[in-house]
Amino acid sequence: MIVAERLHRSFGQLVAVEEVSFEAHDGQITGLLGPNGAGKTTTLRMLYGLLRADRGRVTIDGVELGADLRAAQAKLGVLPDARGLYPRLTAREHVRYFGQLHGLQGDELELRIAALIERLDMQGIADRRTEGFSQGERMKVALARALVHGPNNVLLDEPTNGLDVMSTRAMRKLIRELRDEGRCVLFSSHIMQEVSALCDTIVIVARGRVVARGSSDALLEQAGCRDLEDAFVTLSGVASREELGGMPEPEVRP
Amino acid sequence: MSRSTPITLSWLRAVLVVWRKELLDGLRDRRSLLSTLLFPLFGPLLSGMLFGFIADQQRGAADVAIPVAGAEHAPELVDWLEVQGSTIVDAPADPEAAVRAGEVPLVVVVPERFGEQLAKGEPIDLQLVVDGSRNDNHAAVGYVKKQLESYTKELAAMRLLARGVDPALMFPIKVREVEVASEHQLATSLFSFVPLFVLLATFVGGMQMAIDTTAGERERGSLEPLLLNPVPRSAIVVGKWLATVMFALVCVLLTLLCCVLVLEYSPVREFGVQLALGPAVLVGVVLVTVPMALLASALQMTVASFARSFKEAQTYISLLMFVPTVPAMISMMSGLGDSLAAAAIPVVGQQMLIEQAFGGEQPSVLAFLLAGGSATLGALACVALTSALFRRETIVFGR
Repeated sequence: MIVAERLHRSFGQLVAVEEVSFEAHDGQITGLLGPNGAGKTTTLRMLYGLLRADRGRVTIDGVELGADLRAAQAKLGVLPDARGLYPRLTAREHVRYFGQLHGLQGDELELRIAALIERLDMQGIADRRTEGFSQGERMKVALARALVHGPNNVLLDEPTNGLDVMSTRAMRKLIRELRDEGRCVLFSSHIMQEVSALCDTIVIVARGRVVARGSSDALLEQAGCRDLEDAFVTLSGVASREELGGMPEPEVRP
Repeated sequence: MSRSTPITLSWLRAVLVVWRKELLDGLRDRRSLLSTLLFPLFGPLLSGMLFGFIADQQRGAADVAIPVAGAEHAPELVDWLEVQGSTIVDAPADPEAAVRAGEVPLVVVVPERFGEQLAKGEPIDLQLVVDGSRNDNHAAVGYVKKQLESYTKELAAMRLLARGVDPALMFPIKVREVEVASEHQLATSLFSFVPLFVLLATFVGGMQMAIDTTAGERERGSLEPLLLNPVPRSAIVVGKWLATVMFALVCVLLTLLCCVLVLEYSPVREFGVQLALGPAVLVGVVLVTVPMALLASALQMTVASFARSFKEAQTYISLLMFVPTVPAMISMMSGLGDSLAAAAIPVVGQQMLIEQAFGGEQPSVLAFLLAGGSATLGALACVALTSALFRRETIVFGR
């Protein structure tokens, strides 16, 4: 379970995240939905401890991040914004490296790696160097190394970005499976359909603030809209469709 | 994927895990391997060839055939030169053009009235046509000049004797050089390139690794995932550092090996110099170099962590390579002395100690400890600084 309490973070003059609070429960999929630049990545980075919050508190399974960063990190599996691989290591070596950094070793580690490779359907690429991997293959390696220690909490930053239809489907299936295993899954996205199809709870973020939260039905009701895209636009207050219509047309030169 | 109770690694184990991974990664990197393996071959072997070339020229100078124009006018001179072991050949038709074109290194032009002037005891106008801009002729020209001077002196002495004068009167002062440097010291001043190569090796060997594990890791986007693991940043930095040091040390050992081979098998011994190259000396040189490798790698990692990109890091680090050349230059020009204060300056101290070791001197234990201690302290300071940098958000995210 992940609890964010009144997180605040600014970069110089720019306030990126302001008063962000929410809870992501075990056995649930929580979606952080917001337009580009809303502060989703900044929020996630504060949750996994790479960015310091100016104010506020993050608790992972009861461990306060600020008090014991490493104990909190040990409970997290993260697919961060940057998901670069080592081109000269094989997929299996990537997963092994991260497993070892989590304190795993020997047969236990090798069994976990084998299980993940099978689960993510990576048998064909497991012992190839990652140089030249496709987006989907790279994503699988990044996921496998994030999950090797069996974390109770899984954070995914825009997990389907750049994936084709088949890989996106596989990702959604994995997210549901993780939830069904009783884990706490939190992911960010700017794609409405994805969030509404997957999430038990949606947290809408805009301009660094949480503007609404609840199940997709609750959000529709709150916004008084029939489709989630309208609800998102209304609730995030970025610019309603009417406002957009009322904006001056861009100049068109002959 | 089963759930596990989180275990956190001990600091040392974390260092070991990172170190092993970086070594594996580095060994598969052709660029790291090339700079580590090629430098030891290039530097010393190239200088070895250079010494061979110089020795060949000196040896070859005596065998040079001397083109003489108008040899028929001076049979006495020709005979004398031939007795000295030179071969006399006919000069080309246009001596000046031939020398300018580099066809012959020089031409001796004998005037028609040679015999007449010789008989009368008048000064003889002998011409030596040379091209001073050609370095490869210096040895031959110097040799012929010396031969002609000897002939002149011999003539003068005979004339003085004929008039009943002691030829020794011609030389009121006789200059004789007395060499006070020991053979070893002479050798070291000639071969201060060896310490320079060894010290450069500490910088070259780990260069690619230092960049790849810092600026490269960030540029690849693998730094953020790496730092998500429950491991202290200092352990990650130390693991990367020790892997870089391994590459630097391998480069040092190979460079030493190549230097020894070059000095053993190239004609440098013909210069009459000898380096102390016993196993004890080599072990001593390695012991002096280890702290330098620690420092060079740590410094390179700090600099590379500051850089915004791989390329920027490469630029900074190539500039760092000038650091070890400065004391070597000073040493070649004026000598470094052997004060303890100088020994405590990293790089300068190592240059001094390695020079002394190769020169067959026993460096003082205090100087050894000072040089090693200061370099190690500097290395630890750089590692601490890099660890602090890895905790900075601007460095991690490259803003």
